[in-house]
Amino acid sequence: MLKRLRESKSMQGTFLALPTTLWMFVLLIIPLILTLIVSFGKRSPDGNVIYTFSFDNYARLIGISHTCADGSATCFDPLYINILWRSLTLAFNTTVVVILMAYPLSYFIARAKPAQRNIYLFMVLIPLWTNFVIRVYAWMMLLRKEGAINIIIGWVASLLHLPFTPLEMLYTPGAVLVGMVYEFLPFMILPIYTSLEKIDGSLYEAAADLGANAVRTFLRVTLPLSMPGVVAGTILVFVPVMGTFVVSDLLGGKQVILVGNLIQRQFLDARDPAFGSAASLILMVMTLIVTYFYTRKFGFGEEIVAA
Amino acid sequence: MRKSWLDMFAALGILSVLLSACGGGKTSVNEGGTKITSSGFECPEPSPRMDITSKELNLFVWTEYFPEDMLDCFKLVYNIKLNVDEYSANEEMYAKVASGGTAYDLVQPTDYIVPLLIRQNVVQELDHSRLPNMKNLDPNWMDRYFDPGNKYTLPYLAGIDAIVVNADKVKDIPTSWADLWNPEYAGRIISIDDSRTVISMTLATLGYSPNSRDPKQLEEAKNKLKELIPSIKIFDSDSPKSALIAGDVDLGIVWTGEAFIAHQEDPAFEFIYPKEGASLWSDNWAMLKDAPHADAAYAWLNYIMQGDVFWLTLRDFQYINPNLAAIAYAKDHKPEIYADYFDSPITNPPQEVFDNGFYSEDVGEAAALYDRIWTEVKGGN
Repeated sequence: MLKRLRESKSMQGTFLALPTTLWMFVLLIIPLILTLIVSFGKRSPDGNVIYTFSFDNYARLIGISHTCADGSATCFDPLYINILWRSLTLAFNTTVVVILMAYPLSYFIARAKPAQRNIYLFMVLIPLWTNFVIRVYAWMMLLRKEGAINIIIGWVASLLHLPFTPLEMLYTPGAVLVGMVYEFLPFMILPIYTSLEKIDGSLYEAAADLGANAVRTFLRVTLPLSMPGVVAGTILVFVPVMGTFVVSDLLGGKQVILVGNLIQRQFLDARDPAFGSAASLILMVMTLIVTYFYTRKFGFGEEIVAA
Repeated sequence: MRKSWLDMFAALGILSVLLSACGGGKTSVNEGGTKITSSGFECPEPSPRMDITSKELNLFVWTEYFPEDMLDCFKLVYNIKLNVDEYSANEEMYAKVASGGTAYDLVQPTDYIVPLLIRQNVVQELDHSRLPNMKNLDPNWMDRYFDPGNKYTLPYLAGIDAIVVNADKVKDIPTSWADLWNPEYAGRIISIDDSRTVISMTLATLGYSPNSRDPKQLEEAKNKLKELIPSIKIFDSDSPKSALIAGDVDLGIVWTGEAFIAHQEDPAFEFIYPKEGASLWSDNWAMLKDAPHADAAYAWLNYIMQGDVFWLTLRDFQYINPNLAAIAYAKDHKPEIYADYFDSPITNPPQEVFDNGFYSEDVGEAAALYDRIWTEVKGGN
């Protein structure tokens, strides 16, 4: 046995992959199967799951309703579609802003002297050392009506003898976007940096020799070669943003329901795990579809491995 | 992947807080034989002392809901091991105990979920002959709809959710739930993120039962609530006092304890019991059917129901205290704590508040409708 293991490369591979495979099977595959089974169930009046095989929960999610205002048997009810759409929009906006902010910074770091690069990367990573929720609370302190930003602006205004009413920043959609972008920025910077840093410097020289100006070089050389990083970063940002709700709850004041809230409510207040399971699976499938088409268009970034 | 990272960070954060909160601390016994906790509190002797053979007791309770001294003292006077697991939602607790097979002895369900526990045969009847200190409890919180005759439960702490308002900033002080629709309050309201309380409140403004299951009445409530939602700037169940104290909002629907702290920070915060009736709640003790240490559980319940022990909850928390002996003890021995409690309309409400208050009951099938309303008013475009 041991001898064979020593000789066979494929057996070594199997052996090394075993712990992770087991881990994923017990903690990912089995729960997923259970979720699938529960999602076909029904809610009992006491909030337990009645195991049946019905697609009612999925029908409800995509908007097929049987309690219609006009009295007809079925009608379209966009409630849950709207919630999914809202989450999708927020995830999209966050990702776009993150890309726009991360790219120039990554470019700057990649072009810095090697000794400085590590310092910059280190600075990008430092915020991750603090608990995620605590960082959101820090934003609340900054954005409040009587928070740090308003105090500073108020102070400057009073020096200039200008009238000043505190800005309403916290509990607005803008605050949610700021918080989201802040939380997920490092996950875009790192993969883009990795792909930019790998670009061979002689390519720039070649582009210059052939008469390309800076803009053209960027569009024809740098950007295409760094796309794998952007793709990887997008996946690392878009997928978690779809399901997250802590940031929007704390900075947005819970005024709206996102798909994450919807799922959480089913397992707590509404006591309807069957519907909650269906909603989680729909979220996963939707994320997979978006990721699939995205990566088909732009190629799967190998940088996702590096990050 | 990122999500589970975050969870892990959060879990580690919480864990470290718990570790630092629970760790360390020495207890001792002085010459007179009195047991003293790590914070220097002298433990009262149990009266009556019960005979117990169990060596441990397993509690499954709300997070941060006990005075440390109370736990320490029970361990010391009965020389017993106390295992405490915590939850932060009734539904979480229910999901865990409903399937049976847990080793827990006592749980702390809130009013509305008690009938469910009884129906599902999860809890056992309490033997009142083994609970002599039950006599200390306040009749206002006994014999309520969810457990007539307190056959299964005993109140632990309670509260009344009503309107808190910053009198310095709000011109028209509201006197009813219906007043919240006043346009002056637009964008200045905070509410707990509790669908049941908010929908019940809305039903009450329409003159319906706060626990209505009638789809027509609920539809009407939904439309009424849709008008209020844009005025509510923040939904926050965890710490609604923060935004009030920080001045982000000026009035709202909050928990008793939160209102009490807001008032302590700034006396401008007034607590208004709405005309239609305020929302009552209580957290209660219930013993699981398969409780392995029933004798220790009875000893625990009796011990903490002693006035000289239970007053610790007055010291450490700002809820309504359903234990009259504890209030009497505080009056005689801790006049400052008693004065804070007694003088505040938040913790010591007038009798009519009990009489016309309402509970948010479990509404069975209609729960789906309530959830739907909540999702729609908050998800509405």
